[in-house]
Amino acid sequence: MAKSCFLQLIAQVQEVSLDGLETYVPLLSMSQNLAKLAQRIDFNQSSDSDEDGPERESREPWGKPEPEEDEGTVKFQPSLWPWDSVRNNLRSALTEMCVLHDVLSVLKDKKYMALDPVSQDPALTKTPQVFQLISKKKSLATAAQLLLKGAEKLTKSLAENQEQRRQRDFNSELLRLRSQWKLRKVGHKILGDLSYRSAGSLFPHHGTFEVIKNTDIDLDKKVPDDYCPLNVQIPSDLEGSAYIKVSIQKQSADIGDLGTVSLFRRQPKAKPGSQMWHLKLEAAQNVLLCKEIFAQLSREAVQIKSQIPHIVVKNQIISQPFPGLQLSISLCHSTGEKKSQRASPDKSKPDDHLYVLEHNLHQLIREVHTMPHPASSPFGHKRLRLAGPMAYDKAEISSLQQSEGLLEKIIKQAKHIFLRSRTARTIDSLASRIEDPQIQAHWSNINSVYESSVKVLITSQGYEQICKSIQLQLNIGVEQIRVVHRDGRVITLSHQEQELQDFLLSQMSQHQVHAVQQLAKVMGWHVLSFSNHVGLGPIESIGNASAITVASPSGEHAISVRNGPESGCKVLVQFPRNQAKELPKSDAVQDARWTHLRGPYREVHCGRMEGRNFVYKMELLMAALSPCP
Amino acid sequence: MEAPPVTVMPVTGGTINMMEYLLQGSVLDQSLESLLHRLRGLCDNMEPESFADHELVYLLKGQQGNPFMLRARRSLLHPTAPWHLRYLGQPEVGDKSRHALVRNCVDVAASHSLPDFLNEMGFRMDHEFVAKGQVFRKGAMKVVVSKLLRVLASGNTENTEPLSLSYLVELSVLAPAGQDTVSEDMRSFAEQLKPLVHLEKIDPKRLM
Repeated sequence: MAKSCFLQLIAQVQEVSLDGLETYVPLLSMSQNLAKLAQRIDFNQSSDSDEDGPERESREPWGKPEPEEDEGTVKFQPSLWPWDSVRNNLRSALTEMCVLHDVLSVLKDKKYMALDPVSQDPALTKTPQVFQLISKKKSLATAAQLLLKGAEKLTKSLAENQEQRRQRDFNSELLRLRSQWKLRKVGHKILGDLSYRSAGSLFPHHGTFEVIKNTDIDLDKKVPDDYCPLNVQIPSDLEGSAYIKVSIQKQSADIGDLGTVSLFRRQPKAKPGSQMWHLKLEAAQNVLLCKEIFAQLSREAVQIKSQIPHIVVKNQIISQPFPGLQLSISLCHSTGEKKSQRASPDKSKPDDHLYVLEHNLHQLIREVHTMPHPASSPFGHKRLRLAGPMAYDKAEISSLQQSEGLLEKIIKQAKHIFLRSRTARTIDSLASRIEDPQIQAHWSNINSVYESSVKVLITSQGYEQICKSIQLQLNIGVEQIRVVHRDGRVITLSHQEQELQDFLLSQMSQHQVHAVQQLAKVMGWHVLSFSNHVGLGPIESIGNASAITVASPSGEHAISVRNGPESGCKVLVQFPRNQAKELPKSDAVQDARWTHLRGPYREVHCGRMEGRNFVYKMELLMAALSPCP
Repeated sequence: MEAPPVTVMPVTGGTINMMEYLLQGSVLDQSLESLLHRLRGLCDNMEPESFADHELVYLLKGQQGNPFMLRARRSLLHPTAPWHLRYLGQPEVGDKSRHALVRNCVDVAASHSLPDFLNEMGFRMDHEFVAKGQVFRKGAMKVVVSKLLRVLASGNTENTEPLSLSYLVELSVLAPAGQDTVSEDMRSFAEQLKPLVHLEKIDPKRLM
């Protein structure tokens, strides 16, 4: 009220005349003002407003169910006291309040009046359930909204992460590259080193690759799976892939081609995590390794003096370890994507000695440096530093300095491989050709690169326990075969296969005679004479013939066996004189008892005898000639 | 018997005409680990090798002013290894732009009778010290990180005390005379060690 009066004090301009004079609206007097304000009160607006006050604000309903009786506007009667309606309303309100107060005070005593809850009308309760449902639905909807929003945020961030990981920015890729390869920064460029120099190689190739950013990516299109923001540029002469092919060929019926093997020809299996740059760099490094090995080999091929000079033609080294045997080492470098047309028949058979060759090559390229002690001494070979203090002479120094070249080692290995396979072939062919006696070869599992050994046993079937005198240990070296006999003899055979074959044949023939000797012991026969190398009879071209004569226990019969590698076996049986058909009569020998002595010989046709081998035949013969008592 | 006349000129001619290119620097003890890590990454061969050497410096005083100096060094970790006798000439005063100290160097391996031999020849031991540390190599370059220890009682290498709280770092190459590309390689290698250790050419004359 005071506020509105205050507002009224500021006169309002009604009109401004042309000469600038302002005419003000005449201010209302106090009573006029009050009448105007009282006129504004509308008691029907709020359901029961007992307050006075011109302001109409929304009020909480009082809960009195009685509606106002006087609906409609209150007719304004200017002659009436302006507060009359107000006073009437207040009076009625007071009355009602007093009634309520009385009822409540009577209720408080609980003696005369009590309150009972009114039974809920089921029609009324229906609507609250609907309200409940609606309110529950609303609250669930808000909760779900919140959760969905959160889930959306999470999926968005996850997708972003994956996108980032796929995109793989340049720096993180560079970090990965740096963890596996040597990098350095030169000016603006990032260079790397893929040579083997840090492992000790002295190959003059620089082996530098450059790391470049891969900017040819179209961001609008979908990022391909193998996209990499980093690319490496390898030197042009290291592109593609290379391997070293080693092949040993012999145009001969007995061995034929010993085969071809490719070294350092790993097909790089793309591991799921490995990058394209890694494969590229590994392939380039392999090419460098093959080039270095080949360069060293060709350098040695030219320098080494050997009986048959080595031929170096472009990317192939041809040498002849043995006459008739050709070893060729070639560097196969294929650039670009085109695969070689010729099918590779060599599926790298598990030849252990060729893996050893590859391992040797790796080792030879990477020399291991030794540090000098004391630290101030210059780098150099440790042994050579002792040359001064220990006063080595020229021979010792040259022996220290002499180290076998790579090519020499390869040739030695090739020779050994060849010799070994040829020995095996010889033994196998003999074993298949000759059934009696049998030849067995036990190869040892543990061999070295330059030496293998095999134990050869010559036996007769069924008589292994008795006749085991021929046991040979063959040590196959690089150029020679050393044979150690059971009886202690050591024989050195050259690489000629004929020598080995002849030797084995002679041993087989000796075995037969030895077998008869052992058999005689078992059967009770007496050995009258035995000779490994008889000087009588036809001359053998291979070795010597051996002979044995055994006599029966009773002495009546004797068996002579002569066996030679070429001439075969000859068996003669000596009978007592009285069994001979023609008995030469002699005057000197009169007594009848001399007829029991052994006399003439008769030859036995071994071929027509029963028995699967010679020793068996001999046993039968001996058994036939010694009658049962 | 008077000492034989000694020439000050370095030994030239023949096949021993090697020059030593040298760069030196030092690191404090605390920074040693980071330097070793860096060197392991930069140099060849993963495993660095530790050494412990005992060096004796012999002087031969002639009538002329400058005595002749020889350095004899033996390894304490490998007692059977031969001794190493070294002569280092005066630094070559070439152009100032050369990055490394160049001096003539003669290295000889000697048997274990070296100290007696030198004594008989007239040399007298001037001082001795023990150096312990690690050796790295990169191609022809040798990096030696060593701690110098003073020998308290002459001849007794067990009782030693460090001379300083730092390690001496030396980068050296032995090359025939006339190869100046060596100093370029050394300088670029020294650049890679730059914040950890500053390798520079230190003229020994200026220190005296």
